[in-house]
Amino acid sequence: MLADIVSNLSLGLSVAASPEGLLFLVIGAFVGMIVGLFPGFGPAAGIAVLIPMTFGLTPTIAIIMLAGIYYGSMYGGTITSILINTPGESATVASTLDGYPLAQKGRAGPALVMQAVASFFGGTIGVILITALAPSLANFAASFGPSEYFLIIAVGLLMLTTMMGDNKFKGFISALIGFAVGTVGVDVMSGQQRYTFGSPEMIGGVYFVAVAIGLFGIGELLHCILNGQHLQPAKRLRISFRDKEFWPTRQDYHESRFTFWRGSAIGFIAGVLPGSGATLGSIIGYSVEKKIAKDPEKFGKGEMRGLVAPEAANNAASAGAMVPLLSLGIPGSGATAVLLGAFLMWGLQPGPMLIVNDPEFVWGLIASMYLGNMILIALSIFAIPLFVKFLDVPYVNVVPVIVLLCVIGAYAINASIVETWILVVSGLIGFAMKKYGYSPAATVLALVLGSMAEETFLQTYIISQGTMNLFWTRPVSLILSLILLTIIAIPVLIAFLRRTKPLKETSDQRGQ
Amino acid sequence: MIKRRTFTTLAVTAALSLAAAPVFAENYPSERLTYTIAFGPGGGNDRMSRTVVDILKKYELYPGNIVVENREGGSGAVGFSFVKNKAGDPYAATSTSGNFIGTPLVSDTDWTYADFTPIGLLASDAMFLIVRSDSDFGSIENFVEAAKAGRVTIAGSGSAGPERVTASLFAQAADIEYEYVPIGSGGELVTALTSGSVDAVVANPSEVAGQIEAGTFTALAFSDSARSTNHPDIPTFQELGYDFSFSLPRGVVLPPELDPAVQDWWVATLQKVVETPEWQEYLVTNGMSGNPIWGEEFGAYLADTSTKYEAVLKDIGAIN
Repeated sequence: MLADIVSNLSLGLSVAASPEGLLFLVIGAFVGMIVGLFPGFGPAAGIAVLIPMTFGLTPTIAIIMLAGIYYGSMYGGTITSILINTPGESATVASTLDGYPLAQKGRAGPALVMQAVASFFGGTIGVILITALAPSLANFAASFGPSEYFLIIAVGLLMLTTMMGDNKFKGFISALIGFAVGTVGVDVMSGQQRYTFGSPEMIGGVYFVAVAIGLFGIGELLHCILNGQHLQPAKRLRISFRDKEFWPTRQDYHESRFTFWRGSAIGFIAGVLPGSGATLGSIIGYSVEKKIAKDPEKFGKGEMRGLVAPEAANNAASAGAMVPLLSLGIPGSGATAVLLGAFLMWGLQPGPMLIVNDPEFVWGLIASMYLGNMILIALSIFAIPLFVKFLDVPYVNVVPVIVLLCVIGAYAINASIVETWILVVSGLIGFAMKKYGYSPAATVLALVLGSMAEETFLQTYIISQGTMNLFWTRPVSLILSLILLTIIAIPVLIAFLRRTKPLKETSDQRGQ
Repeated sequence: MIKRRTFTTLAVTAALSLAAAPVFAENYPSERLTYTIAFGPGGGNDRMSRTVVDILKKYELYPGNIVVENREGGSGAVGFSFVKNKAGDPYAATSTSGNFIGTPLVSDTDWTYADFTPIGLLASDAMFLIVRSDSDFGSIENFVEAAKAGRVTIAGSGSAGPERVTASLFAQAADIEYEYVPIGSGGELVTALTSGSVDAVVANPSEVAGQIEAGTFTALAFSDSARSTNHPDIPTFQELGYDFSFSLPRGVVLPPELDPAVQDWWVATLQKVVETPEWQEYLVTNGMSGNPIWGEEFGAYLADTSTKYEAVLKDIGAIN
């Protein structure tokens, strides 16, 4: 088995480490970082736009470059989450929770270095796992039907509660807004349209990216203006590599040494499962970290572990998503679906036979991901002083640039003005949410997960003739159902036990 | 200047080949062609359009420059509307696919298939009825028997897409009851079957060709009126005694209100395109069947497909 891995990898390296391979890998990784930097301009759009650029290349080199854009954008996407509290993608929403407070505390440098390290760690662990486990994991993914998906998404939805902030009541309202917006589009059962008002742009539903950019980006800006931040002179943040302030402290690494591993493992598993792998992975990674921490109250206020966990997870997930893509031809996300389209364009037939028929391609791609992650960590650390300079610019000058980026990002989704209006409306809602302590993260994630939950639930309902027996008659579903029940039961039990002992402490938690 | 010379020769040959060509056709085509793709890069419609344009350029079949542009949005509504509004402009073209029929039926668009000038159906995108190879359904008769004895579930992508239309037409023809399970994307559709959640799926050949080749899935029947040129061993529903056919048009259309000579020029040109090895390779890679039909016959095919589609959508309650 080990001999197989070594021979496969050396075959792959012979393709990926060729001068041409390396050149396009660097281009792909760099473009990916840039693509990630623009809010709303996610990897799916980035790959789609750049496909025509690869027409002159050989298939393997072209896919190596496109895959570089894919995982490179995961590095870049967090930079805006940290610096301007605007996640470019649903997978980096969780990174805003502690990343942005870190930047506000003046620790933008360490936060950016740490996210690069976490991304590298997650990405590399992910590729190692692909190399070792690809064949057996593919079978695992193949055993996932609608009932299993629903249960996994339900676990993700429960995890939402850990990122709602202190006020759970407002958190639930935020999530409900997300669910409500998620109902727009075509009804999965009948094909009838819901709340589309006959507009063809709405048939596909409200795309979460425009909502996310509005809620976070525009909402944050308006809130800063309300606080008069634009009137204050810019803080001079002098950052250079020689500066001690730039690097994460020994304590940062020490505290999050296990977080790297946990985040990567959770992310990889979530990534292997088709669906919203990286998003679920980052949410579950974050909440597990918060749950097991001895000091959960630090999370959400600029805790390094709260940034490392989702970052290691979403990068490991982007590697994990390559497993079903390469071994079964199953895309797990929008970006991998576009990659799959590129496979077809290059005459590569995705499916179980791909690795048999085109081993140079599959192993070349896997080997290029090792090199790609190394290139990306170097690129991101060298570019950090440049990104941090951004914070030196007076806020008055930053505002128009961010608005412009947000509007372009929203318009670019479908080249239609509809998304721009969604952005404007979400911006106003995001402003109100920020001002009154609601949770935009819960809204965006509920929007993403809610419609998936509805679909998979209804599929299970139809298949089981309304009896729902699939949830306990299918082995994998049964295990997931038990996990779900445990997650619900434990807090209830704990609360019950506490209540029975000291009667005085029965104060209403919602009243805070 | 090579381009200019080929342009003259081709224009002359074109004019000569059309005996009764009106004056207009003598200098057609003489301008830049804008080929609009109503969907994003990398998708099925995009791949087909770019293949056609590449062949036109490589064999110098179009004597001038061709600009390709993606105008995506609203499931094709935006791009097709753009081409439709170029009525009378012989220098615009676009490719059809399932949404060309489906989108106007389910939403409020300013165009339908009937507005365009039909050129040709270059390939048809029909559906397979697929079961797991290790399931009890060795043949379509077994499947129909099982459906009559108990209950079968058939999954397909989307609630009101071509997969559902195919499943519904099959159920009518075989006189069986079935439960349709709409599944979001191609990937989840495959795992719905591999995980044993559903009994069968209706899927586009390109989505399942890898699984068929690997022996995991077995195709029971094909929904086109003729066997697939890629999978000649798989019988059509009609051959098996279920009298229906349904496929989606992968074809080329031009804006409305064109000179018939322009239509003829394009029919003749695209007939050359489908003969090239590049086109044959495209058909194989993308799992499409190549039984082309041309001109007004293509128009009639579009009308027939739209009627079937509309009837099923009404039947399942997706539209009124």
